Amino acid sequence: MIKKLLAIVLFASTVTFVGCTAPTENIDTINDQGKPVMQLDYRDFDRAASQMVQSLIKSGSLKKEGGGKYVVATGRIVNDTMQRIDTDQLMAKVEKELMGSGLVTMTSTVGGGTAGRDSMMYDVRDIRDSEKGSEFKQDTLQAKGQLIAPELSVSGKIIQRNIRYDNNKQQVEYYFQLQLTSMATGLRAWQDETIIGKRGDKKSVPW
Amino acid sequence: MRLMLSILLLGVAVGLWGCQQEDKRINMVADVKSDNAVVNIVTKPVIYAFSWVIGEGLDIDRAVTYVNKDGFMELEVQGHNRAFNPIRFEYKVEWLDKSGITIDSATSKWLTWSAAAKAPFVIKAVAPRTTAVDFRMNTRKIPN
Repeated sequence: MIKKLLAIVLFASTVTFVGCTAPTENIDTINDQGKPVMQLDYRDFDRAASQMVQSLIKSGSLKKEGGGKYVVATGRIVNDTMQRIDTDQLMAKVEKELMGSGLVTMTSTVGGGTAGRDSMMYDVRDIRDSEKGSEFKQDTLQAKGQLIAPELSVSGKIIQRNIRYDNNKQQVEYYFQLQLTSMATGLRAWQDETIIGKRGDKKSVPW
Repeated sequence: MRLMLSILLLGVAVGLWGCQQEDKRINMVADVKSDNAVVNIVTKPVIYAFSWVIGEGLDIDRAVTYVNKDGFMELEVQGHNRAFNPIRFEYKVEWLDKSGITIDSATSKWLTWSAAAKAPFVIKAVAPRTTAVDFRMNTRKIPN
């Protein structure tokens, strides 16, 4: 009798716990109606990238005098937040849009991040200059002096500031800053900032 | 008789003062500008409540597009907020090429905007490609 009762209780508990588990659901990334979170999520990166790209295109700084496209490298994007952000996440969107605009060509030769730079480019050159190079058909190896240096660089910073709003709330401010610099002159051609601010429970952890 | 005339004159004066023309380029909202005969501390709650009941919100006055010197279409949407409170909302601009096909772009995302109470607002957007010839814009309430 006790065994039977125990089994029923166990079964009921299991059913209850299973019923309490939040079901996993896929996010509708096109029309996401989810509530905001204190940390930076993909929607924040989308917003920041969208506003930055529009600002950059509108500025006219990417229009090359006399036609043609600028060669642009992605410089260092500093993550000065309490979160472990891969800044390539932001720059991949910006780079894609800049290339799509038809105004620039991105280079993979140099870059401040990891995603924009292709180490294979240097690997094949190391092979060319080593003994292993003789194993390759010589006319398929890259000739020297073919790489094109960047004319412009996009660099920036993501900053986080935490502020106590009142006894129950905190305010977290995120600043997305990007700038475009001419490699030849060092002069800054464009600069903009997008601010994303969040206010929420002080117990929410923004990192 | 004299008293009646004085009251009438005072009424006309107050009425005219309340109807004085303001520069439409400058928006002075309630609680910032002076109260007048029409909107005052007594009538204000009624007017606010009425505005809320009839569901006053945002109106779009016009959408202007032009192609900038670099060949990118720019959009300026001009509207105004009829409500007595600021309205935050999200909008998404999608760009169309000459075939009417949507241009795939990371700039076509839900962006946030806020229209001040009883004030005009302007939303600006730039097409991500020179192939854009038209646009469409959606709006939605901000998810809570």
